[in-house]
Amino acid sequence: MVKKEAKKVPESLQKLRSRIAANEAARTEAKVQAEQYRVAAAQEALERSEKHLKDYVASQVLNQDNQQTANENRDFWVEPEPKVILAIRIKGINRCPPKVRSILKLFRLIQLHSAVLIKNNKATKNMLKLVEPWITYGYPSRETIQKLVYKRGYLKLNKNRIPLYDNAQIEKELGKFKIVCAEDVVTELATCGPHFKEVNNLLWRFKLSSPKGGFSHKRTSYIQGGDWGNREKKINNLVLRML
Amino acid sequence: MADTPVITVYDAQSSGEVKESVALPAVFTAPIRLDIVRFVHDNLNKNHRQPYAVSLWAGHQHSAESWGTGRAVSRIPRVSGSGTGRAAQGAFGNMCRSGRMFAPTKIWRRWHRRVNIKQKRHAVASAIAATGVPSLVMARGHQIENVNEVPLVLDGIEKVERTKELLDILTKYGAKDDLERVEKSVHLRAGKGKYRNRRYTLKKGPLIIYEDKNCALRRAYRNIPGVDAVSVHELNILKLAPGGTLGRFVIWSAAAFKALDNIFGTYSTPGVEKKGYTLQRHMMTQADVSAIAKSDAVQGVLRPIKIDEDEHHPKKQNPYRSKRAMEKLNPFFKLKKRFEILKNRRGH
Repeated sequence: MVKKEAKKVPESLQKLRSRIAANEAARTEAKVQAEQYRVAAAQEALERSEKHLKDYVASQVLNQDNQQTANENRDFWVEPEPKVILAIRIKGINRCPPKVRSILKLFRLIQLHSAVLIKNNKATKNMLKLVEPWITYGYPSRETIQKLVYKRGYLKLNKNRIPLYDNAQIEKELGKFKIVCAEDVVTELATCGPHFKEVNNLLWRFKLSSPKGGFSHKRTSYIQGGDWGNREKKINNLVLRML
Repeated sequence: MADTPVITVYDAQSSGEVKESVALPAVFTAPIRLDIVRFVHDNLNKNHRQPYAVSLWAGHQHSAESWGTGRAVSRIPRVSGSGTGRAAQGAFGNMCRSGRMFAPTKIWRRWHRRVNIKQKRHAVASAIAATGVPSLVMARGHQIENVNEVPLVLDGIEKVERTKELLDILTKYGAKDDLERVEKSVHLRAGKGKYRNRRYTLKKGPLIIYEDKNCALRRAYRNIPGVDAVSVHELNILKLAPGGTLGRFVIWSAAAFKALDNIFGTYSTPGVEKKGYTLQRHMMTQADVSAIAKSDAVQGVLRPIKIDEDEHHPKKQNPYRSKRAMEKLNPFFKLKKRFEILKNRRGH
């Protein structure tokens, strides 16, 4: 009678199996941790978003109140100059003068219908003046910025254009500035917060479509009935058509 | 290395009786360099060519001259003379009928190739090493399923005088399958060699390597189709790796096998017969890459596989169209929408 021995498993195979099992265990553990973290982060994002909305509504209400008070007292109240400008390139790349070309490159407006957010200060105002016939710009509302970030938001990660699909991405890059969700990003951009530069730079330039309903005519300025240059609050209407 | 591998020497006259055990000669552990073998084989294979060429004067045995221009004919040299149809016909050119060919072949074409001695020796060493690897021998096509051991070393095979005896020995040691394979492979040669005294082709069978240049074996193997025999002192890459393919089925005589260390040397001593020849060193001392990868030394310093999330991002979904996408970016949006709906309802 032949005694049936257990089949001998080679040592290297045993080691391989134990290694694989250990890796699997570590991975499931990591998954559980990640899930817990995700739930906590979602709650945090919810609370933050609510706060941002409240702040925004409060600031709008304040403006309205100020305006009303001024009207009642036959006084003047001027809204503070907007801190953020949205610029959209409306003229193509051919026959672009070198100075204009380099300024547009600095603004990241290299492609037609690309849009970027720019801080409003003396330096940028002067730059915009030089490239006015090539762009249209104005003062975006919070809602416009929100729509841009959500629908056309891509991140510059490791020099690649990666879609913004999860708050985890934002937390990874901007967590050190206490910016952890999309609403934080929108607020920072809309109110030109202390980390506007970092947030703006993390975002790839917004690549918009051509406007539904078209431009008026690109050859003259907005003031003259055309399209280029400063169109202040009306930029929001245009962006909605290009989104 | 603790123990060198050992090869059993069988007694040729008996059937499977073990005569002695011999340590494996160092040549069998030489690196198997197919590139060197191919190169050497391709070049040395050219050395038994016979020159061919057209006649030196073919197409030029005329006093043809061009008629020049102005006679409404092409300027090709034309055959002189008259009274025959051949006169005035074009001559000499490769395009002319009966003209000389383009670039007539010459006998002083470089027919033969020389190869560096060291390369030749490395090639032979590689080829011998390959004959010791059963998978290579089988891959080359030899039927060695019933052969006891590879390399096959037989003592007393050199004394064999009769073809019948040799055939007997080969059968006893499992070479019959290979010989049958050769017999079945006899075919008419394709091409003109058929009527140039090379009528039939056949596959290569076993190669017997003997030591004594005057042994009786030299006549015994001749009439067995496919079998070659070669002295160990005159090993030939064309016989060891026919067609440049490594792994011929080799049957060693004991004397030849034992002489290998003297001829090729070992890794510690240079060869005597091949004066000053040292075997090639291996490119890798441990060639089993999967063993290296699985070893503790390597696995101990590896980190677990990291999936780079940046490279595996999903396609962008518009959060204003996809609730799932919005949930990931703004969990509050759902609530806000809800409030608005409720407010509108209350308003109405």
